[in-house]
This record gives sequence, C-alpha cells and structure tokens, in this order.
Amino acid sequence: MRRVLDTVVSVETPEGILLELRPAGLTARAYAFTLDWLIRLAVMYAGLMLSAFIGGIGIAFLLILFFALELFYPVVFELTSSGATPGKRVFGLKVVMDNGLPITPAASVIRNLLRAADFLPFGYGFAITSMLLRHDSKRLGDIAAATLVVHEPPAIPKIVLSQVAAVAPVTPLAREDQAALIAFAARAYVLTPERLDELAALAAPVSGDAGRSGDDVTRRVLGVAQWVLGQR
Amino acid sequence: MMTPLLFEQLYHREWSELELNLNDIADPKGAATAGRTPPSGEHVAGLYRRACDHLALARARSYPAYMIDRLERMTSQAHQVIYYRRDFGLAQLRQFIGRQFPSSVRRHAPYVAVAAATFLVPCVAIGLLVHWRPELILSVVGSETADSFEQMYSTSAESIGRVRNASTDWVMFGYYIRNNISIAFQCFAGGLFAGLGSLFFLGYNGAFSGALAGYLTARGLSSTFFPFVATHSAFELTAIILSGAAGLRIGHALVAPRRLRRIDSLVEAARDTVVLLYGVTAMLFVAAVIEAFWSSAKWFPATVKYTSAAICWTAVLDYFLRQGRRAS
Repeated sequence: MRRVLDTVVSVETPEGILLELRPAGLTARAYAFTLDWLIRLAVMYAGLMLSAFIGGIGIAFLLILFFALELFYPVVFELTSSGATPGKRVFGLKVVMDNGLPITPAASVIRNLLRAADFLPFGYGFAITSMLLRHDSKRLGDIAAATLVVHEPPAIPKIVLSQVAAVAPVTPLAREDQAALIAFAARAYVLTPERLDELAALAAPVSGDAGRSGDDVTRRVLGVAQWVLGQR
Repeated sequence: MMTPLLFEQLYHREWSELELNLNDIADPKGAATAGRTPPSGEHVAGLYRRACDHLALARARSYPAYMIDRLERMTSQAHQVIYYRRDFGLAQLRQFIGRQFPSSVRRHAPYVAVAAATFLVPCVAIGLLVHWRPELILSVVGSETADSFEQMYSTSAESIGRVRNASTDWVMFGYYIRNNISIAFQCFAGGLFAGLGSLFFLGYNGAFSGALAGYLTARGLSSTFFPFVATHSAFELTAIILSGAAGLRIGHALVAPRRLRRIDSLVEAARDTVVLLYGVTAMLFVAAVIEAFWSSAKWFPATVKYTSAAICWTAVLDYFLRQGRRAS
C-alpha cells in the first residue's frame, strides 16, 4: 500500500538492498530556488557597489560575475560534498543521481544548462509542469541528466519508553502487528493523552483488554510494545 | 528469541564503527586531529556488506523505524563513498582535448551538417537580400539598432565592433562571453523540444548575422566589418553550430528513440553530447578573448587580420577533421 501512495524512489544496490530516495516536490524546491535567487541577487548587488567604486574595469568584473553566477553557481555547489546549493541545504534538499550516487560533473552541467529549456515559455513553466506531472518531481534538466532532488530528512530519534514496565502479549502477534505496536509506541510522546488513549483502545486486545480504554489500558499496550521491542 | 533490542545490542558496535569510519572519510582533517588513522577501504567495504545484511534483516522483520533509518543512513552513505567515480584531473583534460572532443564532433557529423546548413543558409540568403536592398534590415532590427551598427563599424571609429564610451576591452570581453554563451546554450536547450528550438535559434541567429553583414557591406563598411569578424568567428560560429548540433542530437533521440525507452534514449543522448558542450564552452571563451582584445584593435592592417583568420580557420577545421584519429 505504501508504495502506491508514496513518492519514494527505490534503488537497488549491487549488495541487494534497496536505497530509498525521497524526491522533493515543487514547493520545497521553489523555496530553495527563491533563497538561492536572493543570495545571487545580494552578491550581484555587492558586485554592483564594488564596480561603481572601481569604475572602468569594474564593469568588466561585474559582467563576468553575472555570467559566472548564472552558470557556475549551481554547478560548483552541487559538486561539493553536500551536493546542494546553499538554498537547498537550508531546506534539507540535495541533488543526487537517480541511482543514489553523488552527482557527477557531467550530470550537473547538463541539468543546469537545460535550465534554459525549463525556463520556457516563461517563469520556469515547463519545469513546473514536469514536476507536477511526474511522481519523482523531475524537471526537464533532471530527466536528461538522470538526477533527482531529494529530501535529506533528519534522523528518527530512538524510542524512549523509560517508565513503562514490559507486559507479555496475551496472544501471539503477527509481524505486522508487532511493527504497528512499535510504530505506535514511537509516536507516544508526540500524541495528546486523549488521542493516545483512543489509539491504544484499538490495540487493546494484545494485552487482553479488548473493549476497554483508559490510562491503564494505554500503559499496558505500551508495555506490550516494550516487550516486543525486547525489553523484558 | 531475537528481539529488536537484542539485535541492536549484538551489532551496534559494528554499526558505530562503520559510522565513525564514514565520518572520517568525509572529514579526514577532523579524523587526523582526533588522532585516528584513515580507515582501510577493505575494512569499510566489509562493514558495509555486513550492514547491508542487517538492513535487509531489519526490514524483513519490520524492526522499529529508528533502527531501519539508522541502517539506511549508513548504507546509503557507504554506497556513495564506495561507488563514487572521481573523474577529474589533468590526464582527463588532455584526453578530452586530444581525443574525446574532436572524435565526438566527428561522430555527430550528420547533426553538425544539419546545424551548419540551418545556420548558414538563412545567413547567406538574408545577407544577399539585405545587401541588395539595405532597407530590408529594418524588417529584422529597429532603425536605432541599425544606426548603432553603422556607428560601430564606421571607418572613423576608434575601435571596431562597438561604440566606445567609457568601456574597455575587458568590459567587452565580459559582454561577449555572456552574449555568446547564452546564444549557444539556447541553441542546445532548444533541442529538448524535438529539436525544433535548436533549428529556430540556429536559423534566427544565422539570419541576424547575415542581415548585419549584408547591411554593412551595402553601406560600404566591409573594410572594417570583415577584418573584425574573420578571426573570432572561427571559434564563435563553429561553437554555436556545435551546440546546435548537440541540441539536434537530443531532439532526434526524443523523436526516434530506436530500441530504447524514450527517456533512456534522452539520457544517453545528453550524456553523449555533454562532451560537445564542454568543448563549446571552451571555444566560446577563446572566441571572446580574441573578439575583445584582437579583433577590435584597429592599428593592425587588414592583411594581418585576414592572415590570422586564415590560420585560425585552418587550425579549427583541421582539429575537428584530424585530431585524435590515430591511437597514441
């Protein structure tokens, strides 16, 4: 089911495991683009001030700077170890090849040169259309360069259930049920107590409390989760 | 019975070691200051394969999300470190100039021919037309632009090819780079639209250059115009035609993907033509240098300019026709 609803792109490595890449959608990329654009604007403005100060050769410097910012700004930052322009880094995005490897110089050049096509007919029209139509949110440049802009999500914190005593389940639990219990326990601290009780009531049969709900039931259901995790 | 926590207890030492090694590889300086020796490749590869096994097990047994996440993180980082290709260096550059670029141009000969024809036919046709009836220039550009062209190439101008106000050679260098590269890259990127964009930009720029040349010769300014353009056009025109050819290749890959999926065909074509684009960028850089510092200099007689032009054209054509054919 997850595969159908989600936009995750799975890549198989030679070791036989699946790497999961989470493509970034239009909104996140638009934020990152805007920030990058503002940064470039600020640099250009600084260059403008400086060139007005120097005069003559300053204008040359300015023109070369504009050109370099347009073409090399994304390429240079994408080829650093972070694989992202400053704007993308702020919003937790990064550019990778669509097989999960770091972006190669050739791919970076292709995807950034093809910006010219993505920009058409105006205001990145083709890029936006392409990103909205594709489940992996690639723009034309990404398609040709075989690259992907992905989210770099923060690490998931460890489950902390310090004050809950382990309770053995009353019936054997299928693997899916075990996984659901553990996932429930992991979210225990971000739910309101009322919602926690409601959800625990659904899982209550595992601790032999079917049909009941309340603080104690919640505690026992979390206790079963603790037991399934391996805390005895 | 194996539980998630037991699993973690059993293997977390290996995982921490792999994570530490990966951090050291990403940040060798930090590792050196902490007094750790750089990790050996074999060792890291071994730990990586073990972590892959553990990830597969953890997924199959639906272990908690944080554990799978941690394993996913370290395996994906290790995968990047192990399979990343570092293909930059001087040897690579020599290989590129001496072999890859010219042979890639020859491989794309049909596209280059079509691109050249698309550029040159309108160029010559419009050029002759405007030469015959100079007022037709007004159907291509406005009257002010036409005036400024005439001013730029007038025999009394201090330097050719531009109106000199407070500007310097360097300013024009910056300007040419920007202008030419954007034209060339338009010719390339237009290829994504089934090649039609490339054809349009090639034809349009050809017609524009032709109109300019025709107008100026009709005005009797050929003695300043041709010495000016002759030398740098060897690099500039070929570069624009080559980037147009790259665009056509991409367009063709989309329209006729042969036995590949359309998308794979596009990716393959883009990967192939990026070689041309590296070369095009370098050529445009050379062209801008020549255009800014040599072509505009007025104190050289026309014969010197024509000689340099002949040398450059011969060199460029010879480079594309013969360089890198023999095994070295």
